[in-house]
Amino acid sequence: MIENNKSYSNIFLNGILNENPIFRLALSMCPAVGISTNVMNGLLMGIAVLFVQFCSSLTISLVKNFIHPRIRIPTYTLTIATWVTVTDLVLAAFFPVAYKSLGIFVRLIVVFCFITMRLDVFARKNPVFPSLVDAVGMGFGFMLGMMAIGGVRELMGMGTLLGYDILGFRPLLFFVLPCSGFFVVGFMMAIFNYTEIIYNRRKRARSVA
Amino acid sequence: MKEIVKITIGLTLTCLIAAGIMGGVFIITAKAKKHNEYLNFKENMLALLGYNQTNPAPDSLQLCTVYRYLIYQGDKTSLGYMLPVKTKKTKDIRYQFIRVNIQGQFIDKFDLDIETAQTNDIKDRNKAIAAVLPKEVSQIVFADRFIAATNNDKRLAYLLPGKSPGFKTHINFMLALDSTYSIVGLQILEHQEDPGLGAEIEQEYFKNQFTAKTSERLKTLKVIKEPLPDDQLKFLERKKWAKDAYSEKDIETLQKKYQDKDICAITGATISSVAVVNGVKNVVTKFVYRVKVLEKIISKQNISVAF
Repeated sequence: MIENNKSYSNIFLNGILNENPIFRLALSMCPAVGISTNVMNGLLMGIAVLFVQFCSSLTISLVKNFIHPRIRIPTYTLTIATWVTVTDLVLAAFFPVAYKSLGIFVRLIVVFCFITMRLDVFARKNPVFPSLVDAVGMGFGFMLGMMAIGGVRELMGMGTLLGYDILGFRPLLFFVLPCSGFFVVGFMMAIFNYTEIIYNRRKRARSVA
Repeated sequence: MKEIVKITIGLTLTCLIAAGIMGGVFIITAKAKKHNEYLNFKENMLALLGYNQTNPAPDSLQLCTVYRYLIYQGDKTSLGYMLPVKTKKTKDIRYQFIRVNIQGQFIDKFDLDIETAQTNDIKDRNKAIAAVLPKEVSQIVFADRFIAATNNDKRLAYLLPGKSPGFKTHINFMLALDSTYSIVGLQILEHQEDPGLGAEIEQEYFKNQFTAKTSERLKTLKVIKEPLPDDQLKFLERKKWAKDAYSEKDIETLQKKYQDKDICAITGATISSVAVVNGVKNVVTKFVYRVKVLEKIISKQNISVAF
């Protein structure tokens, strides 16, 4: 119960700002770079991850007393794999168009390290409700990150947002290529870090004064 | 020791629960998935015939599927064809099953009790066929099928699904042949080739190289390791360019010029290219032989087939 003193809104915001999986922890970069070529892909991937994180956190925090500590990582992997398979089957059956564009990345959610990390760091040690809040926060953090990267890349590469033509021309085709994912992630990380530095400096100045 | 047993039991239980959940979801989604696959298949068929959203297929277009079966009776093997047949009074389509021996001689025919909507399901089909065949038949095995597309009783094309062992797993494709058995188009349905290399078999410049090859030409068709000439590449990818880049006359003359050329392999994906070419050759040769036998029987037995 280490984080009992924190309020739920703090736990929720933690996933979006302080420990944003993409920009602060730099985890699960592979999908962030691979499919964030437009906003829609980012959104769909985010929803899939949110669902998997939610269900896995729920499962683990419910059965945490029965998990033998020696085999906790295999248990997490198994849990995540189950929910990913469920997502995969449901997407393939009811959303064939989305499934086509996400392709193999849905199955890759199994090895998203930040989901395993969240299960080990949070869901294992906390009651059900805080774990769910944490899961939703983390999922939203990932989804917003993916959408932000996707938005920049789509706008710069194709001149569109969500498929609607905004600029009317294509500024830099380079942004659609895979390598530009790294550049965009890098720049966004820099912005996050810069904001943190400014924030901390002001906080310190206030406490001195 | 006690701990090992505990861990083993724990993991086994977890696996069983996981398997239960996944199995349940699979059962729920299986039907919708099958339906999606069928829609995808149909869309590909229509695309091969030149229909798409801007140019939808006319209502008079009819797709009739002919299923081919292998029939084992003791140590003898014979072939069976399930044919869609027009009934004389009403215009409904019924199905007949004819048996043919290995030499291509007609044995007998049966009327099947099956609705058109049911024919897509292999279980329903097998049940209907097994019900009419004599008791000595020990096993029937579904081999393959082809689809005849007709528009107002005019035969447009034959659509042949086929597969060929590719670089990793099977490449599933569909061919369209016209009534003289030369290729109208090729569509790659499913494959697991490497993106950027083998996956290029999906591209227009590779698929369109097969257009207008006759069944005679296919027998000697080879894969050559030469780059595509620029003007041919531009012609093969003509859908990308403006509509007026090629007039209809241009297309006709250029098609004549290129249609007897060998297939240029994709750079870095010779195995995948060869796999597709061999698959196409295989499917077409077998189909042409079979359909000739079948047509002879149909005209001799006076079966009013629906295609």
